[in-house]
Amino acid sequence: MTDTWLPDAWRNASLAAPMGWYLAPDWQAVTWQTLHGRIGAWQALLDSHGGPESCWLLYSSDLLDFTAALIAIWERGDHALLPGDEQPDTLTALDAQTCARLGNVERGLLPGHPRPPLWGNISRRQLAVSLYTSGSTGTPQRIDKSFAQLGAELDTHARLWPLQGQLIISQVSHQHIYGLLFAVLRPLFERSPMMLTTCRYPEMLSTALQQLASASEKRTDIPGGAVLISAPPPLERLPDHLDWTSAPATLHRVHSSGAPLSASASRHAHRLLGAPIQEIYGSSETGGIGWRDQQDDSAWHPLPGVEIRTDDEGCLCLRSPFLPSQDWHYQADRIQATPGGRFRLLGRADRIAKVGGKRLSLTAMDRSLGNHPQVTQARTVTLPERDHRLGAIVKLTSDRLPWQRHARQALIESLRTHLAGSYPSTVIPRYWRFVGHWPTDTQGKLSSAVITRLFRDLDDARLPRWLGASSPDDDHCDIDLEVPERLTYLRGHFADNPVVPGVAIIQWVVDLAREFLAVTGRFQRLERIRFALSLLPGERARLSLDVATTTTGERLSFTLSGQRGQHASGKIVFAPEGRRHDG
Amino acid sequence: MTHALELELKQMIIDTLELEDVTPEDIDPDAPLFVEGLGLDSIDALELGLALQKHYGIKLDAESDDTRQHFASLNHLAALVEARRVK
Repeated sequence: MTDTWLPDAWRNASLAAPMGWYLAPDWQAVTWQTLHGRIGAWQALLDSHGGPESCWLLYSSDLLDFTAALIAIWERGDHALLPGDEQPDTLTALDAQTCARLGNVERGLLPGHPRPPLWGNISRRQLAVSLYTSGSTGTPQRIDKSFAQLGAELDTHARLWPLQGQLIISQVSHQHIYGLLFAVLRPLFERSPMMLTTCRYPEMLSTALQQLASASEKRTDIPGGAVLISAPPPLERLPDHLDWTSAPATLHRVHSSGAPLSASASRHAHRLLGAPIQEIYGSSETGGIGWRDQQDDSAWHPLPGVEIRTDDEGCLCLRSPFLPSQDWHYQADRIQATPGGRFRLLGRADRIAKVGGKRLSLTAMDRSLGNHPQVTQARTVTLPERDHRLGAIVKLTSDRLPWQRHARQALIESLRTHLAGSYPSTVIPRYWRFVGHWPTDTQGKLSSAVITRLFRDLDDARLPRWLGASSPDDDHCDIDLEVPERLTYLRGHFADNPVVPGVAIIQWVVDLAREFLAVTGRFQRLERIRFALSLLPGERARLSLDVATTTTGERLSFTLSGQRGQHASGKIVFAPEGRRHDG
Repeated sequence: MTHALELELKQMIIDTLELEDVTPEDIDPDAPLFVEGLGLDSIDALELGLALQKHYGIKLDAESDDTRQHFASLNHLAALVEARRVK
């Protein structure tokens, strides 16, 4: 049990001290006093919308609002349900369990003026938050966390990696357990200040670190040291060309979690940032299990208080103060014990599925596909509503991607022949998604949401096949697409020579810009639209989107290009009076 | 077989079995639908049986040998539909 009680951290804080800064404008400080006023504002809002012991859906991209709302919920004796993303389907599925949506999401409530907060009576056994697993190994599952569980984990972290007043800079979402613990609750618990601007992109991180180095020399309120809360996707993609010269002197530690970091990514991040890269292995359900620094050893140390052993099949079993009970808990990860009480992760235990009545190891089929000479990574998946057929997500080197229909057909034929040696035809995947980059969510996982997105065109014949998106920043996005042969728009356009109509392409551009660049304006007009080259059934193309937001609305530029050249380009203008949620 | 029925059956096969890379032109009316040719399998045969019932009111005995005969090629399938359709 913990020595320090989490609510004391905010209740007894010194009000004039800063609890964090926004990067712009010019390191604007937010004091504990401001946080208290915001907590009070949320409490007034909650009182007008819910009775006692309510459950609230909370999603806010703003760290200050998120933190204030969470504390307001807790001090009221309520509990928070944190959706992993803000997709309309995700939120709608949770509405039945919650009394209102809070935060900057569609139909989300936002608080009014600051008010003095009221402190309640929080017990350790009380339910604090419910989160959802990523669903990378099945459908997302709800995980409940009590204050005792969160407290035990925070206490362990504080002993192992004390923050000591350093600035916490986060690159991850606080809607998941790792970001919630490391980027929100740890700095609160240890009263270390937060960078309230989430530095999702490397450019922001580089700027923040440079500014921190100079700001802490001029201003005594700003600490000179920082801890970075990161994850494999940003660390693997840290660009060499940015200025990292301030990093070694300012960054004391980098944390990474969500998925194991490759040895090369750990080396790369360590070289550029000059700080230890400490990874945490765990899950939403178990909390932290182990940690490692690959520059020291690739084996994992169990976290203090966590006991581990293996079952008969080499799978990890653990007993942990971060779990609701002291029973042994089974994990589907296979491990190997190494000297000194450490362990290595050997990968997931086999994923078994029943396909068309046959039991089959998907892990074995992934391996088999991976042995095909053109394949660098593969994952076979079962799809909801299609339990008799498998889908496959296959990563190829970029020079092997099928750009034309005949190339895709030949590739599928070659993969089918490859598998036919070991599998009956009924279990060979029917739906193929070929990608150049492994598609993941922001946690670095091929989550069920990403898998669903990859196969969404199966249920809507108006959509292009979506094969992954990458965003270097909030204003740009590259999306890989394919034209499904059964696309509705191809019928009758034209009978003997089907091509995708320009109006369908414009609709895709608008829809994808709303989905991936959060374009919210009302469609106003098209400018300089060119359809230079027809887009054919089965053809693959890359859509590059670029949005500029001004007071007069959003201007979206796009190009759609394939192997044969540029198919379409132009600008779309959106008027500002669309729906906005950022209050 | 009429051209309209041929196209209708091809589209039924593609839609029912969700064949992502096949267009009606890819289906040769004389080529085998199963194993070689289109590469369909036993589960597809069951699915097609259901589709025939739904679209044309044709009831097949899935165990009998002539089911295989009917599914041998698109031409065989069209002959079956023309002979036994009730809607």
